[in-house]
Amino acid sequence: MKKAVFALSVLALSATATVAADDPIAVRKALMQANAGAAGVSAAMLKGEMDYNPAVAKAALATFYGVASAFGDYFPEGSDAGDTRAAPAIWEDMDGFQAAVGEFRSDAMAGVQAAGENGPADREAFQAAVGPVLENCRSCHEDYQLKRN
Amino acid sequence: MKAALAAGALVVAGGLVFWLASAPGTLPAEALAGLEDGDAARGERVFWAGGCASCHAAEDAEGEARLRLGGGLRLETPFGDFVAPNISPHADGIGGWSDEAFANAMLRGVSPDGRHYYPSFPYTSYARMRPQDVVDLHAFMQTLPAVEGETDGHALGFPYAFRRGIGLWKRLNMHPGPVVALGDGDEAVARGRYLVEGPGHCGECHTPRDGFGGLDLANWLAGAAAAEGDGVVPNITPSEDGLAGWSAADIAYYLESGFTPSFDTVGGAMVAVQENMAELPAEDRQAIAAYLKAIPGRPDGHRPAP
Repeated sequence: MKKAVFALSVLALSATATVAADDPIAVRKALMQANAGAAGVSAAMLKGEMDYNPAVAKAALATFYGVASAFGDYFPEGSDAGDTRAAPAIWEDMDGFQAAVGEFRSDAMAGVQAAGENGPADREAFQAAVGPVLENCRSCHEDYQLKRN
Repeated sequence: MKAALAAGALVVAGGLVFWLASAPGTLPAEALAGLEDGDAARGERVFWAGGCASCHAAEDAEGEARLRLGGGLRLETPFGDFVAPNISPHADGIGGWSDEAFANAMLRGVSPDGRHYYPSFPYTSYARMRPQDVVDLHAFMQTLPAVEGETDGHALGFPYAFRRGIGLWKRLNMHPGPVVALGDGDEAVARGRYLVEGPGHCGECHTPRDGFGGLDLANWLAGAAAAEGDGVVPNITPSEDGLAGWSAADIAYYLESGFTPSFDTVGGAMVAVQENMAELPAEDRQAIAAYLKAIPGRPDGHRPAP
C-alpha cells in the first residue's frame, strides 16, 4: 500500500514533467487525480477500512502538498476551453482562485509539518492533520469547478 | 332564456364544486391526541433530517447562522419565483403558533389562517412524517433565535398565483402513504424509507415532475431536471444511470463528508443538504444508504427540455 501511494505521487509528478508544456488541462487533471488518490487512502484509514499506517499518512499529506504547490500554475489564459470542468470563475477572478489554492497549500504544508519525520502517530493525529486539508476540496470546487451534468 | 338560466346554474354549480373540492383540509381534532409533549432534543434530529435550514436560513449560512431561519431564499422556477418565508420563532415568523397550527402546515400544507401553502414548501413529503416527530420539531424550532422581518411574497404568474387552485393540485398529488413498497423485515431500510420519503424530502428534487409540478412517482428518485436553471438532479436509484457503482458505505460516507467514491465533492444545491445530513447520527445516514440500495433501480428520469 505504501508503495502504491508513493507510486501515485511519483506518477503525478512525472505526468507533470511530460505533458506540462503543451497541455495544461491534462496536467491539472493528473494533479487532481493524485489528490483523489491521496484522499482515498486518507479516508480509508480514517474510516478504519484500511489499517492505519503513519508512512502512508505522511505520503498522502506530501501528495497534497506537492499538488497544491504546482496546481495553480496550470491555468493559463485560453485553457478554459476544452474537456475541462474548470469554471470560468477561475479566469474572472484569478486572484481569488490563486488565494484558494494558496490556502490549500498552506493547510497541506501545516499537515506535512505536523506529520513530522515518521508520519502522524495515530489515526487521531492524522485526522487532525488532514482534516483541514480536505476541507479545501469542497470549498474550492464550489466556487471554481463546474458541476458534472 | 331557459337555456341561459341553465347555463348560469351550471356555472354556479361548477364554481361551487370547485370551491368545495379545493377547500383547505385541516387535520382532525384528535390528530395530536395522545402524543408526548414536544421534545426539543429529539426535535433537533428531525430538524437536520428535514433540511429546514437549506431554504429558510440565509444562503451560504455557516455554523450558528444556519439556525437563524429568517427565510429569503428565492427559488426561480418555471412557475414563478417562490420565496422561503421567515420560520423563526418571531412574530414575523412562526412565533406563537400552536402545535396544531404547526402540524397543519407540515402535514397538510395549510396555514393557520386556513389557506393553502404552495408545494415549494415540501409538505407532500412532510405529510409522511410521524406526528410525534412534527411536534418534537416544533419544540426544537421554538428554541432557535427569533429573527425579525418578513420576506417578500411569492411572485407567480397566471394561473399559479390563484392559491385556491392548490386544493385541486393536492387532491392529485398528496400521497401520504409510503412510496416504495418494501418488506418490513429490515429495520435500517424502514428507517431509511421514512427519512428519505418523509422528512428528508429527497424525492422533491430527485424525482421528475409533470407539467403542473406533481411528482411522477413511477420514476421515484430516478433523477430530474433541476427546478432552477437548466441543470439536472442525478438519478439516485441503484441502476447503471444512478448509484449502482456506489456501495451503501459510499453513500453514507458521501452524506457525512461530501466526498463521492472518486473523491470528487458534493456540489450545487446538495451542499446544504449534505451539511444537514452530516449532523445526523451515523445510523441515520446508514439507514438512508440501505434504503437507496433497496429500492428498484430505474433509468434516468430526466425529461428532454420542452
